[in-house]
Amino acid sequence: MKELKESIIKRIKANFADAVERNDFKDNRLDFSVKKETIPAILFYLKDEMGFVHLSDVNCVDWLEDGELEVVFIVWSPADKIKVFVRTRLDRDNAVMDNLDMIWRQMNTYERELREMFGVQFTGLEAPEEFILEDWQGPPPFRRDFDSAAYAEKTFWHRPGREDAQDVRESIADRDGEEIPDFAKKYSR
Amino acid sequence: MREKATTLYIGPQHPGITGNMMVKVQVEGDTIVKARTEVGYLHRAFEKLQESRNWLQSFTLLCRFCVPEPDPVEESYARAVELLEGREVPERAKYIRVLMLELARMASYMLWYGGQNGSLGLYTMGQWSVGDRNYILDLFEELTGGRVYHMYIWPGGVRRDLPDGFADKVLRTMDYLEKRLKDYDDLMFENTIFQKRTQGVGIISKEKAVEWGVVGPVLRGCGIKSDIRIDDPYEVYDKLDFIVPTQEGGDIWARALVRRQEIRQSIRIIRQVIEKMPSGEFYNRIPNPHKWTLPKGDAYARTEATRGEVGMYIVSDGSTHPRRTHFRGAAYVHGITLLEDLLIGENVADISAIMNSLGTCPPEIER
Amino acid sequence: MMNDKNSQKIVDIIQNWARKHSIWVLAYGTGCGAIEIPPTMTSRYDAERLGVRGAATPRQADVLLITGYLTVKTMKRVIRVYEQMQDPKYVIGFGSCTINGGMYYDSYNTIKVLDKYLPVDVYINGCMPRPEAVLSGFAQLQKRIAEGRANGAQQYKDNLEWYRANQKKIIPNWIMPDYNW
Repeated sequence: MKELKESIIKRIKANFADAVERNDFKDNRLDFSVKKETIPAILFYLKDEMGFVHLSDVNCVDWLEDGELEVVFIVWSPADKIKVFVRTRLDRDNAVMDNLDMIWRQMNTYERELREMFGVQFTGLEAPEEFILEDWQGPPPFRRDFDSAAYAEKTFWHRPGREDAQDVRESIADRDGEEIPDFAKKYSR
Repeated sequence: MREKATTLYIGPQHPGITGNMMVKVQVEGDTIVKARTEVGYLHRAFEKLQESRNWLQSFTLLCRFCVPEPDPVEESYARAVELLEGREVPERAKYIRVLMLELARMASYMLWYGGQNGSLGLYTMGQWSVGDRNYILDLFEELTGGRVYHMYIWPGGVRRDLPDGFADKVLRTMDYLEKRLKDYDDLMFENTIFQKRTQGVGIISKEKAVEWGVVGPVLRGCGIKSDIRIDDPYEVYDKLDFIVPTQEGGDIWARALVRRQEIRQSIRIIRQVIEKMPSGEFYNRIPNPHKWTLPKGDAYARTEATRGEVGMYIVSDGSTHPRRTHFRGAAYVHGITLLEDLLIGENVADISAIMNSLGTCPPEIER
Repeated sequence: MMNDKNSQKIVDIIQNWARKHSIWVLAYGTGCGAIEIPPTMTSRYDAERLGVRGAATPRQADVLLITGYLTVKTMKRVIRVYEQMQDPKYVIGFGSCTINGGMYYDSYNTIKVLDKYLPVDVYINGCMPRPEAVLSGFAQLQKRIAEGRANGAQQYKDNLEWYRANQKKIIPNWIMPDYNW
């Protein structure tokens, strides 16, 4: 496993000079950080040349403090049994990336979700504008600065809940027409 | 004469699968020429909600991701957290987890039996298999307290040890279900209508299956041996003896056969687990959940569910709350791009059967 | 003769008795809730012995069973489904999330209180409610129908403007056919 990882790192480093690797994981995982311009090339290379044919996952992390969005691709090689994380950082205010759905067809769905939920634009993506949300007028909801609870408070009706640790035995007894025996009353909270 | 194209809307109100989803199809006569899915009816923003709950609280949301089989999601999350934190899991807990996962797999397949046959008009099967599924749910209830939502596999192990006499009950249930499987075969696989309606319908070729990211039983139904339990073993699957069934053909029939054989393998695994289960601790206690922080970093853990690969990606910034979690469901790939492509050239009557055979689970797509 | 108050009462009693024993359900199964409906309908719990059975389309159904949270996008469809249904019609809210939002209390996409948008006759609480709870909910509905108290549809007609205002508050793009009330 260790030699395999080393050889993968060597091949990637030889082809992509800007790749920064991380190889301190105990399990079968490797991690590369690259610039966003390199992403299509490195994914193509991993898929076509190195056998990482299975796209496991694509997702996005909002680093609000740094003003950046991080897009993470997880690919898996059925032959070598290794998963590789490829990550890149985008400017939060100008999150634009190249369209990648010619590499994996299913990437189309992930891109539609990232566009809607994080506001990451993919140049050349052909898909309907709306994916999950309908007539959404607010900011991209999965970004950190969107406050879900406050929005829900403002938009929807809420049913007032009962106070915590309230003794409801009396009202239940009233409703059912029962009496609480005296010995039970002293155990009230 | 070319027939006029008509647009039909299948759904969103229950198109025969577990949840709301719409397929907008253009038909010429009875043949579909274009299909477009529309999802988003079940979006609850779990990933957003988890950011405002701490690591243990967000765990209760997980089983709602996909209801027919919630345990693999819990398993993925628990394992991702353990991977990030470096927390050891006791050996016994690993066995109990496998037991739980395989029971869940069986329960999910039993529901699928009902759904697949219901979509073809054979409702007797649903009465039988969903009725028998209750026996597995009874086991869950005794073990975890809930029929559907278990919240049992959590970071550090499992929530409770097996109750007294539970192993015997499991074995008895397995004996009963094994007997019943023969009846299911007679009713379903020997049924000419089922054969005619499924053979040669919804064919996925081998090359396309790899190209389009197909996983799970659907991929194995195309003749490719791929199973995370073998490829990327977790818990104690590498110590257990079972085979991964594959089937050539890539149509609904092949996928149904794969699932049928997998139930038998699950029974086999469960028997081995009960036999080999060691005694000892079942839970490596986590600290006070309100103060429980995870080290900075990220982790991705994946589990083989009945629909295929389900994975959980978590990111921690060193605080008590997740920075971000992301759930990868198999239906996310199967239910949108693949389905849209697969429906072209098929009949309108087969839409529901194809969706069922792909294991489309809308709540998993939009979360 | 029909204007006679007493004979109207007798007709009502007979009508309610008949309605009570043939509840055809349109299960609007959003994600979670649909999972306990198959067990309820199949051999072990067998809801059909109460006269409860599934209906294929809204126009044939008596009860709209809303199983779980409703997102804003689904809400629009549910309103349409409800307005398509013929009288008599009843609504059952199923699961904690229809009552007060349940565990999605802070989600930006789900409604929290169903009875502000549709008239709910019976709530079944729990997350998830067991099949026994579902059956008990149906029994409760039958009791209310027999007593003539399940008049959610009438309430909706009388207060249509209030319901509409609430619905329009969360659905920004209101393109709906106007059903003839």
